[in-house]
Amino acid sequence: MTLIRDLESDAFADRYGCERFTATVLANRYRYIVEHVCGQLLTAAFSPILRDFYDFAATLTGPPALGYPTPAMNNSILLFTGTMTDSVRNTIEEYGVGRLEPGDVIIGNDPYRTGTHVNDLLFCRPVFSDGALVAFINLKAHQLDMGGVVPGGFSLTKRNVYETGLVLSPRALYKAGEPVRETWSLIFDNVRFGEILFPDMQTIVAGLGLGERLLAETIERYGLGAIHGAMSYVCDAAAERMSLALAAIPDGEWEGEDAADCDGVDDTEEYRVHVRVTKRGGRAEVDFSGTSRQARSAINATALDAKSTVGAAFKYLFDPRSPFNSGTWRNIDILLPEGTVVSALPPDGPVFLYYEQSQVMLGAMLRALAQAVGDAAIGGDRGTTDIHNASGVHPDGRPWVSAAQMGGEPGPFGATSDGDADTWMLSYQANGIAGAIEAIESDVPAVVLREEPVPDTGGAGYNRGGCAVMRDSLWLQPTDHNLMSLHYKRPSGFGVNGGGDGRTGGVWIWEPKDSSAPRPSAAVDSYRDAQPLAGVLHPETNAPDPDGVFHYPYRQSSWHTDPLTVLRYINRGGGGWGDPFEREPARVMIDVRDGYVSIEGAARDYGVVVLGDPEGDPEGLAIDEAETARLRRGHQSEG
Amino acid sequence: MLGVDIGGTFTDVVAVRDGRITVTKVASLPSNPADPVVEGARRLGVEGSTLFNHASTAGLNAVITRQLPKVAFLGTDGFRDILTKARLWRPLDAQTDASWRRSFGDSGRPLIPRYLRRGVIERVLADGTVMTALDEDQARRQLEVLGRCAVEGIAICLLNSYVNRRHEERLRELTQEVLGDVPVSISAETSPLAKEYARASTAVIDVMMKLMFTSYAGELDERLRELGFGGALNFADCAATLMPWRDALEQPFRIVFAGPAAGTTSSARLGEALGERELICCDVGGTSTDVSLVQGGRPFVNDTFSLEHDLIINALSTEISSVGAGGGSIVSISATGDVLVGPQSAGADPGPACYGRGGEAPTITDACLLMGILDPDGFAGGEMHLDAARSLAAFEALESRLDVHERIAYAYRIAVHNIAEEVTNVAVRHGVDLRDFALVAYGAAGPMLLPAALEQLRVKRIVIPPHPGLFSALGLLSTDLVYYDSQSAYMLLMPDAAPRIAEMFEAMEARLRSRVAAGADGVVVARSFDGRLYGQSWETPLVAVEDGPITAATVAAMIASFHEEYERRYGNRFEAVPVQGVTYRVQLIVPIDKVDFSSVPEGSSAGEPARQRIRTLSYFEAEPLEAPEYDRATLGAGAQVAGPAIISEGLSTTLVCPGQLATVGRLGEISIEAVSGA
Amino acid sequence: MHSFPRPQERHLAAQRTPAEGSCPECGSAELADYRVLSEGGWWDVRKCGRCLHSLSREPAPPFGSYTPLGLEI
Repeated sequence: MTLIRDLESDAFADRYGCERFTATVLANRYRYIVEHVCGQLLTAAFSPILRDFYDFAATLTGPPALGYPTPAMNNSILLFTGTMTDSVRNTIEEYGVGRLEPGDVIIGNDPYRTGTHVNDLLFCRPVFSDGALVAFINLKAHQLDMGGVVPGGFSLTKRNVYETGLVLSPRALYKAGEPVRETWSLIFDNVRFGEILFPDMQTIVAGLGLGERLLAETIERYGLGAIHGAMSYVCDAAAERMSLALAAIPDGEWEGEDAADCDGVDDTEEYRVHVRVTKRGGRAEVDFSGTSRQARSAINATALDAKSTVGAAFKYLFDPRSPFNSGTWRNIDILLPEGTVVSALPPDGPVFLYYEQSQVMLGAMLRALAQAVGDAAIGGDRGTTDIHNASGVHPDGRPWVSAAQMGGEPGPFGATSDGDADTWMLSYQANGIAGAIEAIESDVPAVVLREEPVPDTGGAGYNRGGCAVMRDSLWLQPTDHNLMSLHYKRPSGFGVNGGGDGRTGGVWIWEPKDSSAPRPSAAVDSYRDAQPLAGVLHPETNAPDPDGVFHYPYRQSSWHTDPLTVLRYINRGGGGWGDPFEREPARVMIDVRDGYVSIEGAARDYGVVVLGDPEGDPEGLAIDEAETARLRRGHQSEG
Repeated sequence: MLGVDIGGTFTDVVAVRDGRITVTKVASLPSNPADPVVEGARRLGVEGSTLFNHASTAGLNAVITRQLPKVAFLGTDGFRDILTKARLWRPLDAQTDASWRRSFGDSGRPLIPRYLRRGVIERVLADGTVMTALDEDQARRQLEVLGRCAVEGIAICLLNSYVNRRHEERLRELTQEVLGDVPVSISAETSPLAKEYARASTAVIDVMMKLMFTSYAGELDERLRELGFGGALNFADCAATLMPWRDALEQPFRIVFAGPAAGTTSSARLGEALGERELICCDVGGTSTDVSLVQGGRPFVNDTFSLEHDLIINALSTEISSVGAGGGSIVSISATGDVLVGPQSAGADPGPACYGRGGEAPTITDACLLMGILDPDGFAGGEMHLDAARSLAAFEALESRLDVHERIAYAYRIAVHNIAEEVTNVAVRHGVDLRDFALVAYGAAGPMLLPAALEQLRVKRIVIPPHPGLFSALGLLSTDLVYYDSQSAYMLLMPDAAPRIAEMFEAMEARLRSRVAAGADGVVVARSFDGRLYGQSWETPLVAVEDGPITAATVAAMIASFHEEYERRYGNRFEAVPVQGVTYRVQLIVPIDKVDFSSVPEGSSAGEPARQRIRTLSYFEAEPLEAPEYDRATLGAGAQVAGPAIISEGLSTTLVCPGQLATVGRLGEISIEAVSGA
Repeated sequence: MHSFPRPQERHLAAQRTPAEGSCPECGSAELADYRVLSEGGWWDVRKCGRCLHSLSREPAPPFGSYTPLGLEI
């Protein structure tokens, strides 16, 4: 078929119902529309998880007659991208296209129908023009609570679909502009924090109204033929970009694997994700055969989550700077056995920490594709979100909650050919605004004691992976801590093109002694008197050690601590890129000067001998050229 | 009065004397930036002038290029990385781009390398109590290390210092003990606001600006006085408000970036004269278009300013959105055959292909030339000949299936469209209806691009101000002296909060008043606060607080104003949810002389204005259009020109599209509206 | 099927059924029938194993073999 750029003007107009100029304009316009729908929620949302972690996404979807194409999808959260293309169709088809009227809002949240987890409620607004159904404006957004046994829902110990929360099959929230009371009541009779959900949901509906209005203006200006033609054009263009990028690398088959340590029941079973990527010309196939069966507690994901992550992996490596749309997947087929940890089914394959499987899947995909793309390979990131939640009751009886504030949430990326990686990021598939320490401390009875990268934890490389972050916090009141980390047994920050793996971390507590708060140092010998909660740790020192003992984090469903307990998280270092022994000694010395690499680490991991006192005289460091040359020669002869 | 606008390439000086505007342009000289200012002042004459208002982008340019003084940062032990962690988020368009790096992170180009960011042992809690006393010996040791590194200045930000600043103040004393008289900025003084990152980065920028501007400002003042200047030298800030230069050096983070906001101020001033209070302002330059908003007669101001993605400081700043579409924007073809405009620009050098200075890529200026909007011999006041053959060759060289005339027409329309979409974005983000707005089009390229966006935007009308190329610089002569201060304190707004709020406002107002000369006329105090609905993690900024004593009734009024402002911004109202006050702000506004947009004489004849000649406009429609050309100087108030037409003046060209009518107003502004039924 | 028991095997494999014929694009006889997730949801495809050309693509049920009980009423 003729490439889009080679189409003559007439052929373009025949295929897409408008001239090329109009198609370009509408492609932009579709993005603006979904961004404005999200913008409204982003500014007005009540709940911090929406506002700060972008846990929502909006799409514009074409009508059933066109096969529900999704030409525009905003990039706020990658975890939603693959689900949104299918969930709108699944929801509308089940509700019934014939029942739709102007002013309806149709909702649904079943992970097995719409992906992600029950807290993510999908809202679909059909858009009509002259009485005909012409499009949908959709928004999927995380609600603060959706019922179930754990407030807020974040727990990996839930055992089945009945415990995870309220499942809403497709139904109307508004009918012809009027609220459907039984739907609102169904929700508010079953969920917590209704008084916060309510304004958030109102804001979402207002955002859909804004999207509908913007689309109506666009239809009025350009006509329906152009509107629908441009939807096809945008999806075709994305498919063509991906296909051309795939065609540009050699054909082949590549395998990759990554794993979650355990589920929330016990540590007898590791959950691995195995992928085999086959690439021929501009087409690819991803086969998940060899992946573990579904877990017994809520760490599972569903097939649409697998679709999201496969899309994210291909975008990262082949088409990083353009937005997603449904055409992204046109030349990619995914084979996925039913009932795996990433294609779980009800009622015993409970889903909540689906995003942890998304991390594992991305690790497997990036490992497989690293073999295919050469210099464009990217090192692994920290591989898990490391979310920590805590709760308690103030002395005056008011409950307090700390959500995703004090664990290992900020952490490193992996290195790329462009350079070293940053330490202060969320994971590859997450993005968000970190709460200010001062704002957190004004709300929660806790004090952050330290927030620093740990030297030598970033994967060594010609370009270095980001270092793991150590975060210590002091808890002033009795507290229940909820852990959700699943990735200690193997490094998540894998190196590429000869780069080293990042180090793994752990979680510890220090209990108060003589009613005073412990102040553990950052040093390696600080862990001896700590109680390890998670990690693969040295049996005596309790420090992270790849050959050490695995501490199963869920031997208690939550960890209760007395006042003045110190909690420490260390997440995982990012992977290095390229041979560390080829890194310029001057760059190694800068890392020593800046505390990312120790003097010992420089010699061991990079073969660079740095002389001097980085702490007391950082500008007085020097490189021992002769000794460096000797170390590097020795490394060469070993290799 | 004079205004000087120092950009990266040129230093523009504009003078207004007896209603007459004169202007001169001198090449900027980063190594000695005062020289071109003094040269410009000498050319235009400063004797007898009362005002010399100064705007410079030097601070921002220094940050962007990292040509910065060597400065160190002292933070609470364990938190020296708050400057590189920032707020963590990456831009949404970098979501799947692993090569994205935080521009100021340690793997990018940090403002202060990590070894010069050091921790001191101390800790203050959120309520101001001291958990760990300042370890003075350890602090001295850290300062000694920094002394060995020969740093030029120190920024200090300790956790929770906005509640209790004693450790920061003591640390400043220790710094001066150990390092002598180096400039120090402490965060609790620079901007005592909650949220450590922005407070820390503000302190860093503050001390860097102290180092950049202190001797410069003194030198400039002295040299202007040598030229006979006896008036006041004022520095403009990110909101284009002014401060006497000595006051500016007390809070120099405010002047890190000044210039573009002046266009918004100028628009507001023009709007005031025209009775237009709702304006959308478009400054179309060579590489980009800046869009800003005037609501209720006032520029829309934010509580922070971003120097780069997420590199924020606590400076009030006029909100300006930029889109990479301007006269020099390069036209290219995407992988799927779309015509793209920008964001790359040919800049001034080599410039568009038609300049004949080696630029080979086609630009919007080339498109305008080929379309007949620009006159090859009338560009830049006739000082430069434009070569249409080179423009055509550049468009022909693009790899595209489109005919060359389509490429040209699409390029122009895409540029207009991109600007129009940015205008729409700004409107949607602010929840305003463009039909209530007039669009002010300025910058050299504004008048030739924006009229074509009228149909898409449906604004009331497009206003081309007098001197569109100088309009932004005139904004420096359209503004007041503004002193401001702010203080954070988290507290639920309840009647019993009144005494504490009163105390904060009184202290800030007393501090500000002490800086204003006694007997200054017309001083206005404007109070506001940033609040949030309880449970939210971000604030709704700049909610007005009424004058007078702060009582329980004032607090009730603050809550009511908060809900009003919240609804205005976000469209919802949640009166059942308690409101938490976070930051309290005071502005002290001291009016000074401003430029007048003087009336132009009425048109000599009520009939058809005189045409200079007929020009041919190509590629607008299937067939070329005949368009009469008029000299703007000959059009008096009341003159009307029906499109298609071209109105020329020295440095700009206004395009009146088919179906549009241009009317000259009493201030010489050209107002373009769609003719109904056309 | 509306209720899905946990699989007994620890690791699972996708099923591909060999099919007759040859690929019109590359001529290979390596054809197979299987189910894939792609643009537009689940598809039952017949594909060439050598060049990945699809000989046919038919829409499959939206949730694979899972059907919510409510939809069987």
